Amino acid sequence: MIEYMKELWPILWPTLGAIGVILAFVPILGLYMTFIERKIAAYIQDRVGPNRVGPFGLFQAIADGIKIFLKEQVIPDHVYTFLYFIAPTFSLMTAMFALVVMPFGPVPVEYESGFRYVVAPGIDIGIIMMFAISSLSAYGIILGGWASNNKYSLYGAIRSCAQFISYEIPLGLSIIGVIAATGSLNIEKIVAAQGGSLWDWNLFWQPLALLVFFTSALAETNRLPFDLPECEQELVGGFHTEYGGIKFVLFFLAEYTHIVTVSFLTVLLFFGGWHFPGLTGPVDASLGGMLLRTFVLVAKVCGVVLFIMILRWALPRFRFDQLMGLAWKGLIPLGLVNLFLVAVVLTLGLPKHLLAGTAVLLFVAAMISTYQLQRTLNQSNPRVMNGGIRGVSV
Amino acid sequence: MWNTGLWKMSLFAQTNAESLASRVEGTWAWTMVIPIILGAAGYLLVQEGIVRHKFMLGLGLVSLAASAVFTALFLPPTLDAYIVFLFCIVATGGGVGFLTAREPVYAALGFATAVLSTCGILFMQSAMFVAAATMIVYAGATIIIFLFVLMFAQQTDLRVYDIKLTNPCLAGAIGTVMMITITYCVTHDGSFPLRKVDSSRLMSEALLPEELQSEEAKIEFSRQKLQSAETGPGIVPQTTAGLGRSLYTDYLIAVELAGTVLLVATIGAIALATKPTAEAGS
Repeated sequence: MIEYMKELWPILWPTLGAIGVILAFVPILGLYMTFIERKIAAYIQDRVGPNRVGPFGLFQAIADGIKIFLKEQVIPDHVYTFLYFIAPTFSLMTAMFALVVMPFGPVPVEYESGFRYVVAPGIDIGIIMMFAISSLSAYGIILGGWASNNKYSLYGAIRSCAQFISYEIPLGLSIIGVIAATGSLNIEKIVAAQGGSLWDWNLFWQPLALLVFFTSALAETNRLPFDLPECEQELVGGFHTEYGGIKFVLFFLAEYTHIVTVSFLTVLLFFGGWHFPGLTGPVDASLGGMLLRTFVLVAKVCGVVLFIMILRWALPRFRFDQLMGLAWKGLIPLGLVNLFLVAVVLTLGLPKHLLAGTAVLLFVAAMISTYQLQRTLNQSNPRVMNGGIRGVSV
Repeated sequence: MWNTGLWKMSLFAQTNAESLASRVEGTWAWTMVIPIILGAAGYLLVQEGIVRHKFMLGLGLVSLAASAVFTALFLPPTLDAYIVFLFCIVATGGGVGFLTAREPVYAALGFATAVLSTCGILFMQSAMFVAAATMIVYAGATIIIFLFVLMFAQQTDLRVYDIKLTNPCLAGAIGTVMMITITYCVTHDGSFPLRKVDSSRLMSEALLPEELQSEEAKIEFSRQKLQSAETGPGIVPQTTAGLGRSLYTDYLIAVELAGTVLLVATIGAIALATKPTAEAGS
């Protein structure tokens, strides 16, 4: 048995190391992302934000962490205890499990040994694996909502469920174009395919796919333009009304982990991963090159995370029918058209940057047609919207 | 399932070719029937015990545990064999939970457990795409919609025919016969062609070169591929590409037909979901 383990060790240690990195970083990241979020909120609302604990309030996150662990554990009488405890754990588990196929540094396509910056390298269904696992994260919310035995919580959970299932379709549609162009589901190969010049990044020839992908992925994180499941004005607190202390925090740790996942995916699929002008081509094994590429990747991810956080304070919340309409009437047709265009370009062997122009044109056309449709709907037949209450819908 | 050489391909597989050869040969023994019957008896006892007496429940659990221990005797001594075994135990537990749970929500969760553990088994067999698709379609969408319905549905009004629908004894008998048949087919030497279960084929039937068209040549080719360096430790075979190639060459008509059926079903669902426009005129 010991010899068997010895034989396994060269395969095992990079995997265990990568798991260790994920396990160590997710909680710290969660704590500090709350801090950054509060700072950004303060900046946008012209306040100072947390500034008491440590220099620039930097230790506020640690103080919050200690506070959370020392809070009293309140368990309401009317909950289904088993599911009530399982739900937040399951939420965080699925969120972290999705990071298994996520490269957090440069992974050479032909890896042999050594640390590989990803838990499971070379899985040729990488991106589908990620979607499969993140499709499970609805369980945490829906179980939490049901186990709370509270109507508001259940409504929040059901909304989340409907939103989740709806937005999974455009999410899947949007990346099929990228996959078809690369010819692989492997995330490392998708990044390697963008390794040429700056104009090889998928962003520059599939802007429509990026738009659909980013919108749907944002909806999957339950963040503010799409945070109907925890809409305070209508549902008290949504699915986590009955949760407090560390159990509440586990839900939010899961949410922040989702944000990190989405940012990583956006960068890896559309923004060229660890490539940068002057830093192109296949991954070399030198330590300096590795660190530089890791830095580039993490910097890009930080940019996307900041963008998501600013978006929270820049956009108002959707109404529920608007939310569903956006998915089914807006994003899914756009995703289908994008897929069709990519197929045409790939089949006929046309220059791929033709897609960028088409995508922009299509986007403008979609905006105009939606606007016109909305106007005609509002003018000719006010009964169609808002159950026929005249005036509100306009 | 466990002797086809696919062990070689999973993550922690051993490298020597001898262990592979010993597993490809038939390993059928009549003692394999015992854990199946023990498991069936255990399930029936648990099912009855929940209604009647805790003693029967305990006896059923003991029987299931004995079945698991007995099965463990047949396992090859590798790490991935034990991991698959663990997934099998969890899947069986989920199935028993699904059938015996008194609240529909717990039943749905038991079903989810069974499906997810099955995905784990598929992952260990390197059937990555099937596992991920199962996770998305069943665990991700179907069961969540089940939960959705169950949380709102009335659960009080159970008719006689709803309760009589499940006959545990009949189901147990059919399941036992089926399990014995499957175990025999999979483990008996020669009753199951190696080619059919080998997912390591480089290309589909239609694209095979001339010299590989005979059956013997194909089997020999599969064996060589299994033993080549490509399936060494730490390297996951690229089954998804092969699956895609096979689907769009060998099974093209089936894929297109299935797509058409789904399209028709989607249009039908939209037609059914649209409300009649009677109130628009009034």
